[in-house]
Amino acid sequence: MTRLSMGWKRATAVALASVSLFSVAAASASAGEISVWVWDKAFNGDTMREAGAIYTAAHPETTFNVDDTASQDDIRAKLQTQLLAGSTEGLPDIVLIQDDIAQKYLQSFPGAFEPLSDSIDMSVFAPYKVAAATHDGKSYSVPFDSGVTGLFYRSDYLEEAGFKAADLENITWDRLVEIGTEVKAKTGKQLLDLDLNDTGVIRMMMQSAGDWYFNADGSLHITDNAALKKALETYAKFYQADLVKPVSGWAEYTGAFTGGEVAVVPVGVWITATIKANADQSGKWGVAPIPRLDMEGSVNASNQGGSSWFLLSSSDNKEEAIDFFKTVWAGDKDFYQDILIKRGAVGSLLSAREGDAYKASDEFFGGAPVWQNFSTWLGQIPSVDYGTFTAEVDSAVQAQLPTIIQGGDIDAALQAINDQATQQMQ
Amino acid sequence: MTLALVRRGIVYLLLSIAAFVSIFPFYWMVVGASNTSADIIRGKTSLGSALLTNATAFFTQVDAVRIFWNSGVIAVVATVLTLAISSLAGYGFEMFRSRVRERIFGFLLLLLSVPFAAMMVPLFVMFSQAKLVNTFAAVILPTVASIFIIFYFRQTTKAFPTELRDAAKIDGLKEWQIFLFVYLPVMRSTYAAATIIVFMANWNNYLWPLVVLQTAENKTITLILSGLTAAYTPDYGLILFGTVLATLPTILIFFLLQRRFVEGMLGAVK
Repeated sequence: MTRLSMGWKRATAVALASVSLFSVAAASASAGEISVWVWDKAFNGDTMREAGAIYTAAHPETTFNVDDTASQDDIRAKLQTQLLAGSTEGLPDIVLIQDDIAQKYLQSFPGAFEPLSDSIDMSVFAPYKVAAATHDGKSYSVPFDSGVTGLFYRSDYLEEAGFKAADLENITWDRLVEIGTEVKAKTGKQLLDLDLNDTGVIRMMMQSAGDWYFNADGSLHITDNAALKKALETYAKFYQADLVKPVSGWAEYTGAFTGGEVAVVPVGVWITATIKANADQSGKWGVAPIPRLDMEGSVNASNQGGSSWFLLSSSDNKEEAIDFFKTVWAGDKDFYQDILIKRGAVGSLLSAREGDAYKASDEFFGGAPVWQNFSTWLGQIPSVDYGTFTAEVDSAVQAQLPTIIQGGDIDAALQAINDQATQQMQ
Repeated sequence: MTLALVRRGIVYLLLSIAAFVSIFPFYWMVVGASNTSADIIRGKTSLGSALLTNATAFFTQVDAVRIFWNSGVIAVVATVLTLAISSLAGYGFEMFRSRVRERIFGFLLLLLSVPFAAMMVPLFVMFSQAKLVNTFAAVILPTVASIFIIFYFRQTTKAFPTELRDAAKIDGLKEWQIFLFVYLPVMRSTYAAATIIVFMANWNNYLWPLVVLQTAENKTITLILSGLTAAYTPDYGLILFGTVLATLPTILIFFLLQRRFVEGMLGAVK
C-alpha cells in the first residue's frame, strides 16, 4: 500500500512539473523594444546592434533585441511557416532577408510587410538594391549590405606570370581565360575554384548584362536569354581550358583560395573578411573589377548575394522602426564608415563613399583604395528583377552543369533548364 | 583451412571498413574541436592546440547552461511522457481484443508515412490558438504519442507471458495495478531501449522546435548549433566543440543503458 501511495505522489509531481512547462509563456516583445532577426553574429548581427545603440542613445525609450541564433535557412523556415499559418505571434519587428528571395515573400504574402517608400527616400540607396524589393510600385526594404562583386586575385601569382594590375582592368571573361592559361603555364596554379552545386558565378555574369531568369511579367526567360547562354558558354570554357579546381561545399570553396591553390576568386565583397583572415597573405592580394561578358550591354560590375531589412506589418513599433531606418540607415554616413572598418560591411547608402573609411587604402590589397573601387562599381550594377522562382531555376541550371562542362550543347541545356523549371514552378 | 582463413580475412576487412566509416566522422569531430577553423578547412586530422580557444569562444557566444537546460528539460520530460503514453497504448493494443483493433492499428501505421513537414503548418495553427507557441509544451506534446514506440511496445508485448496477467487477476489486481506492478518490471529492457530511442529523437529534434520556439532564451542546442553554421565565415572549431558537447548526453544515456538496450532490441523478457 505504501508503494502505491508513493507511486501516486510521484505521478502528481510529474504532472505538476509538466504543468509548469505550459507557463514558460511567450516572452513577447515589450513596448518600445524593437526585435530583429539576423543570421550572422559577427556581420549583420553586430552591425544591427551598433545601429540600434546609435538610435537608443538619442531615443532612450526605444531599445533593440537582436537575435542572431538562427541560420538564414532557419529564419526562412520559421517565417514561411508562420506567415502560411497566418499567425504573427512571436515574429520580430524587423527581419533580414536576402535580396534574391525578397520578391517571393512580397508576392506570396501580400500585406505581411510594411511598404517603406512612402516614408523613406529610396533614392539615397543603390538603385539595384531598391529594385530588388520593389513590388507594385512600392519599395518594402531598407537596403543593407551590398553583394557588389570584384575579381579578387593573387597579385604574386599574376606577377610571376607577367601580369600587372592594369591587365585585369576592364576585361572580358574570355580574356580572363587567356590570362588564366598563361598563369597556369607559369605557376602551375588553377585559375579559380568552382562548385557545381553553386550557380553564383553564372548569376553574376548574367546580371552584369542586366538580365535574369525571368521576363517582366514573371514568365521564364531561358531559351532566348543571350546573357545566360553566354554565361554558360564561359563557364564551360573554364573547364575546357582545364583551369578549374573543382570543390564541393563552402569549406572546400573557401579553403582553395585561402590555401593559395587558385589565382582568382570572382565573388561578392562580403568575402573580404574570409580572405583577410589569413594575415600571412597580406600584400599578396588585389581586387579588380569583375570581368564582363563578351556581348552588348554587359558591364564590369555585378552582384552576388546581399540582403535588406524588412519591417513586418504585424509590428507594434512601426513608427519607431521607420524613424530608426530614416535616421541611422538612410542618413548616418559615419555609421557606414564604422561598419566598414569594423566588419567589412559595404552598405548600400550611396553617399557613404564620401567618408574617410571609404577613401582609405588597404595594405592587405597592396595599398589599393579597394573600398572606393567597390563603391564605384556598386553604383554601376544593373538592376534586375529577381522574380519569385530563382531558387527553382537555380536547381534546374545546376542539373545541367555536369553536361555543359563536358562540352554539351548549350541550346539543348537551355531547353532542358526551361523544361525542368517550368515543371517546378507549377 | 586456408579457405576459412581467407574468408575470415575478408569478413574482418569488410567489418574494418564499416567500422572506419562509422567511427571516422566521430573522430574527426573530436579532433576538430581542438583545431582552428583554418586547420579544419585544410583537412587536418590530428589533435591541435586550439581546444581552449574554441571552448572560450563557444561559452562567450552561447549561453550554454541555459541552452543545455532547455534541451535537457525537453528531452527528459518528453521521454517520460512518451514512454508512459506509448507503452500504455502498446499494452492496450496487444491485451484487449476488439473487432476494430487491427484497423485502428493499421491506420496508425499508415500515418507513419505522412512526412512531418506536411503537418507543420496545421500544427502551428493549433498551438498558436492554444497560446502555446514558444513554450516547451509545444515542443513536447506533438511527440508524446509516438506511433513507432507504440508499435515497438506492441511487438514486445507479444512476448509477455499472459499467464502472469491471468495470475495477477486471480490475485485480485486491477488492470492498472497489473500494468504498474507486473508488466512494467518485466518489460524493463524494452523501456530501456525505448528510452534511448526516444531521448535521442527528442534531444536531436530540429524542425519543429525551430518553428515553434522563438526567443533565444528558449532555444535548444540543435537550433543553436545550426545557427552557428550560418555565418559567412563560420568558425568550424567552435562549431565542432559545441557538437562534441551536444553529443555527450546521448552517449552517456547509451552507455548507462547499453546492456538493457541490447536485451530490449532482442525482445528478451525475463
